[in-house]
Amino acid sequence: MTTDDGRALSKPERTGGYYHLLKAVIYRDLLIWVRYPLNAALGIFMGVFFFALMFYGGTLVAGPSFSDSIEGLIVGYFLWTLSLGAYSGIMNDVQSEASWGTLERHFMTPFGFGPVVFAKSIAIVFRTFMTSAVVLVVMLLITGTALNLNFVTVLPVATLTIAGALGLGLVMGGLSVLYKRISNVANLLQFAFIGLISAPAFDIPWLRVLPLAQGSAMLQRAMLEGTRLWEFDALTVAVLVGTSLFYLGVGYAVFGLATRRARRLGVLGDY
Amino acid sequence: MASEPSNTAQAPSNGTSTDAGEGPPSLGPDEAAIYVDGLAKTFGSGEDAVTAVEDVSFAVAPGEVVGLLGPNGAGKTTTIKSILGLVLPDEGEVRVHGIDVHANPRAAYEYVDAMLEGARNDYWRLTVRENLRYFAAIRGQNPDAMAERHEEVLEHLDLAEKADTAVRDLSRGMKQKVSLASVLAGNVSVAFLDEPTLGLDVESSLKLRKELRRLAEEHGLTLILSSHDMDVIEDVCDRVVIMNEGRIAVDDTVEDLLAGFETKGYQLTVRGVDDAVLNDLRGRFELSDIQRSGDRARFEVAADTETFYRLTDAMEGHSLDIVNVETVQPDLAEAFVEMTRGEFGADRADENTAPTGEQPAGHPPTSDGGERR
Repeated sequence: MTTDDGRALSKPERTGGYYHLLKAVIYRDLLIWVRYPLNAALGIFMGVFFFALMFYGGTLVAGPSFSDSIEGLIVGYFLWTLSLGAYSGIMNDVQSEASWGTLERHFMTPFGFGPVVFAKSIAIVFRTFMTSAVVLVVMLLITGTALNLNFVTVLPVATLTIAGALGLGLVMGGLSVLYKRISNVANLLQFAFIGLISAPAFDIPWLRVLPLAQGSAMLQRAMLEGTRLWEFDALTVAVLVGTSLFYLGVGYAVFGLATRRARRLGVLGDY
Repeated sequence: MASEPSNTAQAPSNGTSTDAGEGPPSLGPDEAAIYVDGLAKTFGSGEDAVTAVEDVSFAVAPGEVVGLLGPNGAGKTTTIKSILGLVLPDEGEVRVHGIDVHANPRAAYEYVDAMLEGARNDYWRLTVRENLRYFAAIRGQNPDAMAERHEEVLEHLDLAEKADTAVRDLSRGMKQKVSLASVLAGNVSVAFLDEPTLGLDVESSLKLRKELRRLAEEHGLTLILSSHDMDVIEDVCDRVVIMNEGRIAVDDTVEDLLAGFETKGYQLTVRGVDDAVLNDLRGRFELSDIQRSGDRARFEVAADTETFYRLTDAMEGHSLDIVNVETVQPDLAEAFVEMTRGEFGADRADENTAPTGEQPAGHPPTSDGGERR
């Protein structure tokens, strides 16, 4: 390939790869987060505030016996904030990018839209982990509770659990690419998360295939009873990995299909 | 203005709408930087169907600068977005440097980037440099390795001093330049720029035009510009593709396009005129823009060479002194309006940009030049 005057036209040199993509996406996500400081601070404050409301309200109503189940409440609440952040984060991100006018630029990359959005999802999970960890620490301080925080167990179980929520977030992200404003539907699902997190997956086997349920049950055991990752039986771990990857895969596929449909309708960059 | 003649021009340069754009482009798919053949896109179905683009074909040589023009609703944005893979066409082939954009988009995006949303193309909460680094990374570049290139682009666009300023703290024109910088800094060989000079002051606009020409000439950058500013098109582009009602109306070099209009009219200043003479001339010729002061008159006349000589004979018959004769030189805007039959700027219900930015699905995408935010 040459220009009109015969100069050689070579392929633009690629100096970066997936590492640079992920690093840049995480860094951008954190920058945007801190540059809306009031929103960032209020997010953490509201997380703590609602927990404090539940804790003091519960103690007031149920008396000292409420504190018997406080560890379970803390773990459930922690997982809920984490799931919610991952789930709504990607949906909100897609909507924000569309309204800022930057969404289409993320489509036109040599990595492809899917991998870029997936990198954004990881960035959102990373940030949500940080903010939820702050909320967790404050919750433990408020209630004077101690939990088994074995990171070798908690991190992979929580990450896989969140992967399922992320899959649902990608479904919603795909729908928001297509239909733009879907917050009313999305908000409904937030409440469903409470049910999924509190589902007794170890007692009712079929509940294990639902998103979040298996991971939540495992996380409760790990943080309350000190069960280590390798102490769970292989089937339990396999179900967690399988359901998480399944929901993530479904989310990714739906996102891809929705994007294709949006391109067919010519509404990809609309908001 | 660029002087390199296009080797892909297909329309005669008579300034009239032609069958330009029909049939395959004269450059082959592997020779062209951009190759579009038989592009068609209809949004919606049944009675609600809107044909945005129909049988559009053209090719752009590497290093060529092409202006894509047309009135609102002409199909420019659908064409551009189809070339970029952002809209899936119903029919047609689109290639960038020989790569099928729709079959292999990731390979094509190695070469191409676009500024479609004007000043909205970037993150306003990030600094200028942070934007350049971020968009470099998502385009497969190591931002550190691109630092020198970024500094060079910032320098050329007069943004170096503002490199560490948040975009939201910049003026409208500066924001526009940041958007442009983040595209140009990406080391691409093909760039689509929608209204690149929107919001820029005269000096910045002139400087930007020069910079775009420099990039095309020195770096072989292929540029597709969409703009309503005809001065920009005239200054920067080698060639213009004018679209109307979803089709290519004209595909020609700027020079040939203007040449086709050059002798379409004359401006005359005469002495010794009175009402009777003027009425006689008005009855026989298409006089316009008549300004009279005593026995002196200045007017324009739409005439070819033969008619012009008949007019001068008639004036001689009335013993008028011809003080001055000038050829009316049309600019690109006039040529454009003529070729699109005066539809420039006309509102079209089917493609209006809703003020809220909301638009029903299944309608052709439109560009707002980056105004909505």
